[in-house]
Amino acid sequence: MKAPTPILSIRDLSKRFGGVQALSGVTVDIRQNEIASFIGPNGAGKTTIFNMICRIYDPTSGTISFNGKDLLRHRPHHLAGLGIGRTFQNLALFRHGTVVENLLVGMHAHLKSGVLDGALFLGRTAREEAQAREEVERIIEFLEIEEIRNQPVAMLPYGLQKRVELGRALATRPKLLLLDEMVSGMNQEETEDIARFVLDLRDELNMTVIMIEHDMNVVLDISDTVHVLNFGVPIASGTPAEVAGNPTVIEAYLGAAHA
Amino acid sequence: MRTRTYRENYRELTELLPYRSSWNWYALLLAVLVSLPFMVPTYVMTYVTLILIAAVGAVGLNIVTGTAGLISLGHAGFLAIGAYTAGIAISTYGWPIPAAILAAGFVSAAASLLVGVPSLRLKGLYLAITTLAFSIIVVHLINQWEGLTGGSSGMPVGRPDFLGIPMRSPASMFYLTLVIAGLTVLGTLNLLRSRVGRAWAALRDYDTAASMMGINLVRYKLLAFAVSSFITGVAGSLMALNIRYLNTDSFELIVSIEAIAMIIVGGLGSVRGAILGATLITVLPDFSRYVLSLFGGALGSIASGNTAEIKGIIYALVIMLFLRFEPDGLAHQWNRTKRFWSDWPYSRK
Ligand SMILES: Nc1ncnc2c1ncn2[C@@H]1O[C@H](COP(=O)(O)OP(=O)(O)O)[C@@H](O)[C@H]1O
Ligand SMILES: [Mg+2]
Repeated sequence: MKAPTPILSIRDLSKRFGGVQALSGVTVDIRQNEIASFIGPNGAGKTTIFNMICRIYDPTSGTISFNGKDLLRHRPHHLAGLGIGRTFQNLALFRHGTVVENLLVGMHAHLKSGVLDGALFLGRTAREEAQAREEVERIIEFLEIEEIRNQPVAMLPYGLQKRVELGRALATRPKLLLLDEMVSGMNQEETEDIARFVLDLRDELNMTVIMIEHDMNVVLDISDTVHVLNFGVPIASGTPAEVAGNPTVIEAYLGAAHA
Repeated sequence: MRTRTYRENYRELTELLPYRSSWNWYALLLAVLVSLPFMVPTYVMTYVTLILIAAVGAVGLNIVTGTAGLISLGHAGFLAIGAYTAGIAISTYGWPIPAAILAAGFVSAAASLLVGVPSLRLKGLYLAITTLAFSIIVVHLINQWEGLTGGSSGMPVGRPDFLGIPMRSPASMFYLTLVIAGLTVLGTLNLLRSRVGRAWAALRDYDTAASMMGINLVRYKLLAFAVSSFITGVAGSLMALNIRYLNTDSFELIVSIEAIAMIIVGGLGSVRGAILGATLITVLPDFSRYVLSLFGGALGSIASGNTAEIKGIIYALVIMLFLRFEPDGLAHQWNRTKRFWSDWPYSRK
């Protein structure tokens, strides 16, 4: 039987920033409906992979395709429409807005109204806004942030801001969701919530999720596949059990810990 | 009976004024404005006309600089383009007033692409200087292009009757301005609470994240300039109709500073703030001059002789004071006051 085409296919991807070789020859397939994790010490090039998928950086060489289409031919603002959503390692919320407003921005690619529609706010636009508001409300319910829906995001504690950022990514209706260090800085309870949300998104909404994580409990418990990077070089890929038992990985991690 | 305290559907959550009580206040304000010509002397009405025109301009500038975060010192240039477009359309080509006002908006919006394109690469101070240069060039071109604009000797602008309605009186100018200010405010409030307005606010706050939400930064920056300049051009056409004699003295650099002062004092990004700021900044120089003249003697003669200098000093002071003590502007004070009264008596400590 032929394996189904991967949702995301990264081939021989490399990136050089001036004198820094951030990434060398990464080849990874992400299957439909899996939870995949990228792990590796700080500076290993994990975020750089996300930024190239999201077209913020151009690769020095290599290809990325999404559902068989060449992603490198797209610009960053096409991704939401294609079905790729992401959160950022450092908070990147629209800080003057409320929770609801941040999530509504996430729906941008799926709404239609232009300048004149907006200014007149007649039937079609009013309906579209009401529907968007309803969808946002479902995300708020899913993430259990009803109490803070009208608060300015800048006032919220860190863990909640991260959760709002996840909500904003969900509002883009992603098929592929990229989460960059979602749980770092969160306490145990918040971390468990996020792990539960990620599993629900995969199981109930059929999303494919790629996480960049340092929290080994989360990585080993919920990932289907783990990819390990060290100084921009891929050193192992496999199931959590395979990767956890891989001597090169143990060496890299212990090496990093001893350094 | 429904008090409308609780929302019953998503449509109600997205309404412009969800509370009945606020509708009542705005209806009262509108009633006062509509009956103003019958209640106050002409000079007060003319003064309110000036404030309304300033408010239209401030609401326009606020879109690009307040909401989208692209600083523009080119406001005077767009006002000038709007004013002269309307003037030429009416005086040279005999267009009716509404057509001239629309033309002013469109020509100004088209011209905004000249500064919009550099804005894609420039930020902060560099964009400020580019837009400033733009408005200086505009004024220079107007002075040079004598055949079209009357050059430095100026250009008379008539107020032809429209559909049999005489437009010459101060009262008709007041009503025309009121209608346009009302449409501008309503349209802008709507725009800012829908998809386009949210996209502008998003690109101001975090442009990379905004593009991940599907917002085309190039398109929305240009759009912010275009819509902002359209409204500013319309404000310019109202200036032309109001003063009835155009020359470039009305479009000096100080006008751009004045507009920036209005939106900073009001609170960047807030439509209500832009209106409050326009009111305060329009009134303040005249009020200060009046206060100075009360002292008589040397102070009084300084006051009467140095209008431009006094304006400059006042704007500088007001901008610095607000940035230091109330960076969220009058709109923020307004909300605090409103909350105080709606929570009263629990708001008392
Ligand atoms: N915009 C950039 N300019 C220069 N160097 C960069 C840039 N982005 C990342 N790097 C470098 O690339 C390497 C990988 O960074 P990153 O992908 O952020 O690592 P990780 O997310 O795995 O911690 C680091 O050495 C980092 O300094
Ligand atoms: Mg990183």
